[in-house]
Amino acid sequence: MNATGFGLLSAMTFLPMLGVILLLIWPAEDVKAIRGVTLVTTFITFILSLFVLIRFTGNTYHFQLLEQVPWMPQMGINYKVGVDGISIWLILLTTFLSFISVLFSSYVKTRVKQYMAFMLLLETTMLGVFISLDLILFYAFFEASLIPMFFLINIWGGERRTYAAVKFFIFTFAGSIFMLVGIIALSQIYRAQFGSLTFDIVKIQSAIAQGSFWVNFVQWQVWIFWAFALAFLVKCPMVPFHTWLPDAHVEAPTAGSVILAGVLLKMGTYGFLRFVLPFFPDVIKDQVLPIMILAVIGIIYGAVVAAVQVDVKKLVAYSSVAHMGFVMLGIFSLTHNGLMGGAMQQLNHGISTGALFLLIGLLYERIHTRMFKDLGGLKAQMPIYAAIFLIVMLSSVGLPTTNGFIGEFLAMLGAFEAAFAGAYGLNIGLSVIAGFGVVLAAVYLLVMFMRTFYGPNENPTNQKLRDLKPWEIVMASSFVLFIFWAGLYPNTFLAPMEKSIGAVRMMAINPVGQRPNWDDVQTEIDADGNLVKVAVRDSFASYTSTELIAPANLHFPAPAPVASRPEVIARR
Amino acid sequence: MDFKLIWLVLGLPVLGFLIQAFFGGRVISRMGAASGRKVMGWLAVLPIAGAFGAAVGITMELAKRAAEDRAVVETLFSWIRIASINVPFEVRIDPLSMTMVLIITGIGALIHLYATGYMAEEKDYSRFFTYMNLFVAFMLVLVLGNNLVLLFIGWEGVGLCSYLLIGFWYKDLANSRAANKAFIVNRIGDWGMTLGMFMIVAMIAGNLGQFQGVEGRYLSYDVVFSSTAIEIFRSNPGITTAIALLLFVGAMGKSAQFPLYIWLPDAMAGPTPVSALIHAATMVTSGVVLLNRCNVIFQLSPVASSVVCVIGAFTALFAALIAFGQTDIKKVLAYSTVSQLGYMFIACGAGAYWAGLFHVTTHAFFKALLFLGSGAVIHAMAHNQDMRNYGNLLKYLKITGWTMVIGWLAISGVAVWTFFGFAGFYSKESILGAAFGNNFASINGVNYGFYSAAVGLLVALLTSLYMTRMTMLTFFGNEERWKLIPAHSHAEHSDHAHHASHAHEHEHDHHGPDVESFFFNEEELALAHAHEDHEHHHELDENHVPHEVPTSMWMPLVILAALSVLGGFVLAQNNVFEYWLYPKGELTILGELEHHPHWHELLVGLSTVAAYGGILIGYLIYRKGLPKSEGWDLSAWNPFRRAAGNQFGYDKSMVDIGVDGGGALANFSWKVLDAKGVDGVVNGLGGISAGIGRAFGAVQSGFVRSYALLMMLGGAGLVGYLVYLLTVAQGGAR
Repeated sequence: MNATGFGLLSAMTFLPMLGVILLLIWPAEDVKAIRGVTLVTTFITFILSLFVLIRFTGNTYHFQLLEQVPWMPQMGINYKVGVDGISIWLILLTTFLSFISVLFSSYVKTRVKQYMAFMLLLETTMLGVFISLDLILFYAFFEASLIPMFFLINIWGGERRTYAAVKFFIFTFAGSIFMLVGIIALSQIYRAQFGSLTFDIVKIQSAIAQGSFWVNFVQWQVWIFWAFALAFLVKCPMVPFHTWLPDAHVEAPTAGSVILAGVLLKMGTYGFLRFVLPFFPDVIKDQVLPIMILAVIGIIYGAVVAAVQVDVKKLVAYSSVAHMGFVMLGIFSLTHNGLMGGAMQQLNHGISTGALFLLIGLLYERIHTRMFKDLGGLKAQMPIYAAIFLIVMLSSVGLPTTNGFIGEFLAMLGAFEAAFAGAYGLNIGLSVIAGFGVVLAAVYLLVMFMRTFYGPNENPTNQKLRDLKPWEIVMASSFVLFIFWAGLYPNTFLAPMEKSIGAVRMMAINPVGQRPNWDDVQTEIDADGNLVKVAVRDSFASYTSTELIAPANLHFPAPAPVASRPEVIARR
Repeated sequence: MDFKLIWLVLGLPVLGFLIQAFFGGRVISRMGAASGRKVMGWLAVLPIAGAFGAAVGITMELAKRAAEDRAVVETLFSWIRIASINVPFEVRIDPLSMTMVLIITGIGALIHLYATGYMAEEKDYSRFFTYMNLFVAFMLVLVLGNNLVLLFIGWEGVGLCSYLLIGFWYKDLANSRAANKAFIVNRIGDWGMTLGMFMIVAMIAGNLGQFQGVEGRYLSYDVVFSSTAIEIFRSNPGITTAIALLLFVGAMGKSAQFPLYIWLPDAMAGPTPVSALIHAATMVTSGVVLLNRCNVIFQLSPVASSVVCVIGAFTALFAALIAFGQTDIKKVLAYSTVSQLGYMFIACGAGAYWAGLFHVTTHAFFKALLFLGSGAVIHAMAHNQDMRNYGNLLKYLKITGWTMVIGWLAISGVAVWTFFGFAGFYSKESILGAAFGNNFASINGVNYGFYSAAVGLLVALLTSLYMTRMTMLTFFGNEERWKLIPAHSHAEHSDHAHHASHAHEHEHDHHGPDVESFFFNEEELALAHAHEDHEHHHELDENHVPHEVPTSMWMPLVILAALSVLGGFVLAQNNVFEYWLYPKGELTILGELEHHPHWHELLVGLSTVAAYGGILIGYLIYRKGLPKSEGWDLSAWNPFRRAAGNQFGYDKSMVDIGVDGGGALANFSWKVLDAKGVDGVVNGLGGISAGIGRAFGAVQSGFVRSYALLMMLGGAGLVGYLVYLLTVAQGGAR
């Protein structure tokens, strides 16, 4: 339970960096070995992340596998990392998609050494984002992840790659500048209250949970909320900050698109879960409505625009806007169902959209076009490819028995519950409109499938197309495995997240004194979602609880009534 | 016997699906087409037949129990389980689910058997049975699931299979388009249904204190329809009506009720066994099953029930009228299905849920028969579906012909007073009797059930009339029309062939320039094309001799014909079907329903007049063959028939609004809002910052870098200001 020095998490995170160093000294002509080294590195990283999963327990909401090493102690900045239910699957998603992307990248022929180095660098930064428990560390990884992606798009991208890369960089960078402001503000408030500087999110959250953080700075809360929210809204992305996404996706090389959709977008929603919900309990309820409206606009707008695209990749890119809208819809319903659905939908989107980009990439490597006018009738030519594509497409549609249904169903149910209860000024109309997004998803995805696979195959190039090679089938099937696993037995994925998600929800909606506290391991979320006091604790996984601190109140977003507000803790 | 046998019922079709999906192609290519197909055909039929056998055993076991004990829940595992909701994978064995299981597996096995013959020359033989077995599996989940989410799995799953099978001959884009239409229109229904489910969860979760032992199973039937839940629904009539209407939207999609019926006629693009199984006997009746399942909610809302009645009656009438303008034999049957489904909803709205399901059952018998028969006719007539090319086929197709005559009499509701009738007579009679005799579906004292039944009586006349038209044109008269302009001939003068090329030039255009192009639907052409996939085909000409279908195909016809004759008679004896589903005194909320109005004899008389009257009128019109006013020359058609031929413009206007309107909106969003709006603002900002940058003399190259610089300067400035403010605040506090 106590923090150690560098350990498993760091090993996993920085192993790809080791690979980068190895690549740098490797001769650039030895392409085969470079591919091999990269592949092995990402594979071992994936294995290490599986070890993380094995050592992880879903029985607590606290951070596990904590590692803490002083970095700039005089400024209160530490290298502090850990994993909880919110980040665990995102870490697995990152290592998995990185491995798959590198596998696919055997199609990359130019400047392989640099390409692979950037891929590995990207993996480290992405993992760093998800394990950081220090705001500065987080910010550093968050920004650093832009750089390899910028180069991946700018060097190995399509025709308008420079425009797309720069646009991608500026949008996300501009957003995160505001977050930096927010981070500094938080640390300054902490210093004002407690006399020392810290960027440790555990300490900050603990102070917020006890009500001693915002007391004299309540009027700042809404501004800092939006500073953080803006960065993550751009990253998600939500309308109207989404226009970088279609360009970046279309121009990025396939592996870049897979990572971009699969992981980089998740940094946005992860940010909401990790920072925005726990940190701004006094104002978040008032900000639910505008964000929900943005989410619903995103759902409809993304779907509507996707329906008229002529480039398959751009269609999938716009569909991301719609799908991420569902994630946000779930998270900001602030109901348990909604948050679980949103968190699940993050993974689903990473897998399903990642798989779609991968499949489109496999086709592109064969015929070097993605335009609908050049496609059609491929089913007869590539039956296995068509079958896998169909399954992935249906998971994106959200068909029951696939992963997509679980996330969308729970997210929409949560949003409906919140609206039905009349919380935060939400209206059922929002849920009704969001639900229509599911209809629209069927429209653009089925039309995409039809225009690619059905009809006569009249393009002479396409008549020579070969179906997937065995290794490609295995690669693509790994996504299919997840799709059905998560669709038929979602508990595998839901259970490890549940405690942390429940805690974050209570941090956001409960009053002082009833909020979970990341720093207080003597509190826990029990199986029914209640916040309880721990009497005896042996480990994260095993404890006995005594008294109830706050009931779960899972379906309604308002907290249970409190007799009296605890007194304001005196400032120094 | 153990009720655990139900897992065999569910598992066998899944097993069949997996065998077909993973081994079908290999077996056929290794064993050779003929014997490989034979093996795979049996491997497709046997799981369904086995499931039927097991289901019979379970049903008999269930029937032995006392009426109030006839509900067994078996749970397999926790599907979705989080603190806030728990959806187990659980099945419910009760009279309703087992009745449907018997229909699905029984009729399903017959249709699978038929399909082994019908599809014998199909290249993608095992792909077809992959989808068919999967369909049966999903359909079983739909009816057996013990919660609404499982029902929803089946609901969307059968929709998927329907989509895959409508577009089975995918090389023709028209088929794929019909498939897309089916899936998307159904999704609109599913949207309503999902919202209905959400509202149920919200209601129950919001009153959790009153329940015991829910454990998050908010959507399980034993919770949703428990007496506690009923009390909650009763005290919130507005919300109950909303839930009922939302669920009904789902039913409208799947069961093809106005305004969402438009997908079903197009769905005829699929192979004929698919039309029989999915689009007549089973899937399209899911809506009726849903209303039976949720009858408690509908019983509590007379408003919703009235809406159900009215929509049902309107659909029955509307579709029956459209049927008069159809010349494609499958289209006639498709509209007839829509119309009969309307009947079932009249029953449900009027409170006679059992009568709705009774009609589901008898309709499954005779409509499956009619579709399979039409498939045999199409088979015999070189894949030509236009009734204007038919005539005198009874002479050549003895078995098909006579069984279809039985189907025709059954759907017309022919009976000898009340002593004996064909299957359709009894179920129609129960529906009309209940709807006339009760006043449940009424708002402000207006009995909509009564009016719906009146419409239903009219529709009975229309049904028997258009079915007589179909039968007379197909099986009676002479053969002179065979040689006239077959749909797919190469004849230069054929407008049909002309239209074929025309339609393909305008693939993205749903509306051609003239009335013909509505009438000769793309799907019709699709089927004309579809036979290209069959290895052998011959042209329809003067020398054509239709052949009777092989045993595997006529056997199901004979069995279904027997059921169409006797099924209704047997099930109506002593109300056995009604009391099996709803034991006497168990319709909790409404109390006992009347079976008939007090003028029962008059009603029977009127029904008889409607059935025989339609046949008589039809005979008089069509006894000399095809009238000139219904021939190939559309300008000779009377305005009503022409309007009916293109669905009174309804489908076209919906598609126009949806496709053109939606497309325009989407293009506007993309090209104007995205490109000019959002990016415009950003580029504008970039321009401003570039200006500032130039003023500082710091930047030379374009917007982007300067924009970044400005952002950073701005950000840094903001940080500095913030730090300053905080320091001040801190200092001030000290």
